Amino acid sequence: MPAMKLLKAMAAAAVLTAATGAAVSEPYDDGQSKTYYETVKGKKVAFVPLSMGFDLTEGWNAGLQNQARALGYTVEVRDPNWNVEAGVQAANGFIADKPDVLILHPLDQQAYNRVVPRALAAGINVIQINMKSVTNGDAFVGADWYDLGVKQAEAVVAACGKDSGKNGKIAIVTGQAATPTIVIGNMAFDDVFGQHPEIQIVARQSADFDPAKAQAITSTILKQNPDLCGIVGVWDGQDSGTAAAIREANMQDQVFFVSSGGGSKAAACDNIENGSFDAYVSYDVPGQARDLNAALKILLQTKPEPGSNPFALYTPLKVLTKDNLTPSSCWKLEELKAMGG
Amino acid sequence: MASSETWTRWRYRYIPDKFVGEILSKSWIDTLIPVMILAGVVTVFSIAMPGFLAASSLSDIARIYGEYLIIIVGITVVMMAGGIDLTVGSTFALCNLVALLVINSMEVNLALGIPAVMLVGGLVGLINGVLIGYLGMRAFLTTLVMLILIRAVVDQGLLDYGQVIARGFNASATWEFMAIGDVFGVPSSLVVAVVIAIVGHIVLTRMRFGWHVSAVGGSRRSAYNAGIRVKRTICATYVLSGLLTGLAATFYAARMSSASADVGKGLEVTMLTAAVLGGISLGGGRGSITKAVIGAMIVLLVQNSLIRMGLSSGTSSLVLGLLLLAAVAVDVRWVKNRHKVLARAYVSPTYFRLPPLPETAAGSDSDYALNDKLRGVEAIGLGELDGPEDVIFDQNDNLYCGSRHGDVIRFFAPDHKRWEVFAHIGGHPLGFAFDREGNLHTCVGGMGLFRISPAGEVTKLSDETNRSLLSIVDDSRLRLADDLDIAPDGKVYFSEATVRYEMYDWMVDALEGRGNGRIICYDPKTNSSRTMLPDLQLPNGICVEKGGQSLLFAETWGCRITRWYFDGPNKGRKEIVVDNLPGYPDNINRASDGSYWCALCGMRAPVFDLALRMPDFRRRMVRKVGRDDWLYPNMNTGCVIKFDADGNILDVLWDLGGEAHPMITSIREHKGWLYLGGIYNNRVGKYRIPGADPNWTSLDDYWGERA
Repeated sequence: MPAMKLLKAMAAAAVLTAATGAAVSEPYDDGQSKTYYETVKGKKVAFVPLSMGFDLTEGWNAGLQNQARALGYTVEVRDPNWNVEAGVQAANGFIADKPDVLILHPLDQQAYNRVVPRALAAGINVIQINMKSVTNGDAFVGADWYDLGVKQAEAVVAACGKDSGKNGKIAIVTGQAATPTIVIGNMAFDDVFGQHPEIQIVARQSADFDPAKAQAITSTILKQNPDLCGIVGVWDGQDSGTAAAIREANMQDQVFFVSSGGGSKAAACDNIENGSFDAYVSYDVPGQARDLNAALKILLQTKPEPGSNPFALYTPLKVLTKDNLTPSSCWKLEELKAMGG
Repeated sequence: MASSETWTRWRYRYIPDKFVGEILSKSWIDTLIPVMILAGVVTVFSIAMPGFLAASSLSDIARIYGEYLIIIVGITVVMMAGGIDLTVGSTFALCNLVALLVINSMEVNLALGIPAVMLVGGLVGLINGVLIGYLGMRAFLTTLVMLILIRAVVDQGLLDYGQVIARGFNASATWEFMAIGDVFGVPSSLVVAVVIAIVGHIVLTRMRFGWHVSAVGGSRRSAYNAGIRVKRTICATYVLSGLLTGLAATFYAARMSSASADVGKGLEVTMLTAAVLGGISLGGGRGSITKAVIGAMIVLLVQNSLIRMGLSSGTSSLVLGLLLLAAVAVDVRWVKNRHKVLARAYVSPTYFRLPPLPETAAGSDSDYALNDKLRGVEAIGLGELDGPEDVIFDQNDNLYCGSRHGDVIRFFAPDHKRWEVFAHIGGHPLGFAFDREGNLHTCVGGMGLFRISPAGEVTKLSDETNRSLLSIVDDSRLRLADDLDIAPDGKVYFSEATVRYEMYDWMVDALEGRGNGRIICYDPKTNSSRTMLPDLQLPNGICVEKGGQSLLFAETWGCRITRWYFDGPNKGRKEIVVDNLPGYPDNINRASDGSYWCALCGMRAPVFDLALRMPDFRRRMVRKVGRDDWLYPNMNTGCVIKFDADGNILDVLWDLGGEAHPMITSIREHKGWLYLGGIYNNRVGKYRIPGADPNWTSLDDYWGERA
């Protein structure tokens, strides 16, 4: 009897295998889909963020991993933890491993100038995300920092400038000087404020993207300039410190504070709602993640000669204030992890 | 002989245990630990990452390594002088900023730009140097505060010039070469670093500044007392560190063009870890460029590998921190316990079997039967002497002997009561001999062979011999020159008791039972020495025979006296004259009747004879028991024997009770008297030899009567 049972079981298993085999063996090909899936499958993508562990890079990575899982390729991340030198070492390490696409997030405008051409020369397509070194890769995905700077500056001019009836005294709490954000953003500030002579910059200091440092600097600025009208911040991660200092000084009504960032709910919308930020320029990380994935898919399919035909996907910027805030203005990392990209 | 003993004999003959201890006692052994760590690191990461040793990734690491190496040479010098330089992180950032500004943006010529950047670093070093060297501030705190101060300056500079720098670009070919160029595949920074490391090594080990640095780091007070300008030396080390950091920063600036705020952050910890991992002691005085080279390699490989393994934020710093802690712990423990480990591992006993002990009982018909002939001998310099190992007379009957204080003492004839310090050498004079011209030659323990003219001028004749090819210990240096004699042609034959132990440890040599000593010949014509007979068991007394072609030498631990022909038809022949002595022979000298006197400094005991056949037992004893409890040969009683050229024992003189002469190391016959010396004694003994020639002197016997 046991022998009979075994035989039956084997027969059942064989039938089942045949049935499922038939079900997965021939997916519908619309003429492009088959090649699409086959091309991207098994590819290797490498990602060097400036650091993991904060909303921008975690958001992008969530999107990247979701798509990689869905399409059957890998995205490997090496985390230099805010250190340019370590970032360059990580990127060079990746170049030695020869991935198909290398995604770089340079903290420094100059430092990756030799890395990008090297990767291109090694036959690796390069995407730069949100911050671009001076050298072009194959694709750039991210904010136009000049545009962003202009939008921030204009917001503060509107609040403190000629027509506002205020004194025009503002401060800039800037970040690490070598980053594209700051280098290009500052040019935009200078250009806009140059056209508005009534705006007087009473302080311009760097907090190195460190909220604690931003808080200390701002609280000193506020003591020295009790009649300050506005502050320009550069990134919500650092600007939370600036906002805290303004709140401590009880000057939230007097000081107009404009920030910018990836637009996560905790960093942006919550702070706009509670009045910490008066205006906020968002470069919308979910959108960037989608753009990043798009650029990746394009490069994996078209396989252009590295560096031969650079393209850019500049992020549409959103200026958020209390007045235009909606439930969909911001995003949450859990949601992005669940179905972003 | 039991078969197990045969086995033991062969095992100890062919397995060279002594090399373990000798290798461990080398000063470069400190470097072996970091080398092993490096090997471990390479192995682990090669397994963890398949592409780890690929040429492309290596050349990348090598470029960074060049920068690290330049910095760490400076740090090594600072640490060798007993300091610490935590400012490097900020100095590096400052110099990077200046380099970018001056060279990248303002496009100043490199020939001016690089020295300017280095000067900035040197200036920071000078501030540190003045504060620490001249004002005597604590190095740790001072450089820590400077780290913070300079970082503030950098931050301000970044704010003011960051944008200018971010736009600048110097297109000069040299700048490009510094950034990505190489020489035969070796990155530019590494080429420069290697040159600096080699120069650094030469300066530290071969030149005055390096010796001053080591001396200051080893002991500041002693260095000061020795006349070294301590303050200036310390100050100079910081300036050097600053200059080199500036140079490294220039390479970094060329490579990265990065004016980030994080440049150089944590570099001080990285460099400190590298130095300590390499084995450069935090206490100062110990270290080398080689160690720095290895330490930097370990740290960089670990750092780079952790980045490439993609570990999460902060892991790298964590691992580096743990490494530093471990390295500091090893450093502290190793420096503290090194000599203990060494003392136990160094002693390397081997198998040696003496024939059965001859009878010495009183009344027996043995040649060595006990008597009491030395009881009540006269004493010279009682209580005034300390360690007259050997005794000798000049042609005016003045008596010379040595002292533990490093003097040669002269007692004036005829009564030998009045004395003076004839010459001061500085080491304990052991053997004496006069040459034809009346110059006194002496073997000085720990120093070598010296000559003293009749006027008392001291000349060093030799403190080295030829280095043997396969010896691990440096056997070219003379550690324990013991006794000597002079051949008619003026050549000096002298014994060196052991090449493995210093003078204060000579007795430990007995525990080994191996031939560690040798006989060396000094040739006044070439003013150089050569080893003639190696591998002798503590060669001691030497006496050139009347024929002038051979000499007798005593091997203390071998308990035998051997004749060796150094000239004539039998040149090179060795023959045993007296074997199986009841004690340990020391000096040999001529007697008036054509025979020889020999002192036995101690007597054999069956227990130690047995222990010599059990090397494992002695090894266990050395490892497990405190030094004071080790089993040593007996040195509490001795005697004098007289033997002829054929090895017949003619007479034996004992001091029963051992009150006056418990340990006799030398004897000298002079005008009918026998004078007795002892290395641990407080007098020279004087014994009337019955029936001896009252006019015979050793000096005349050697060189003939003089007018």
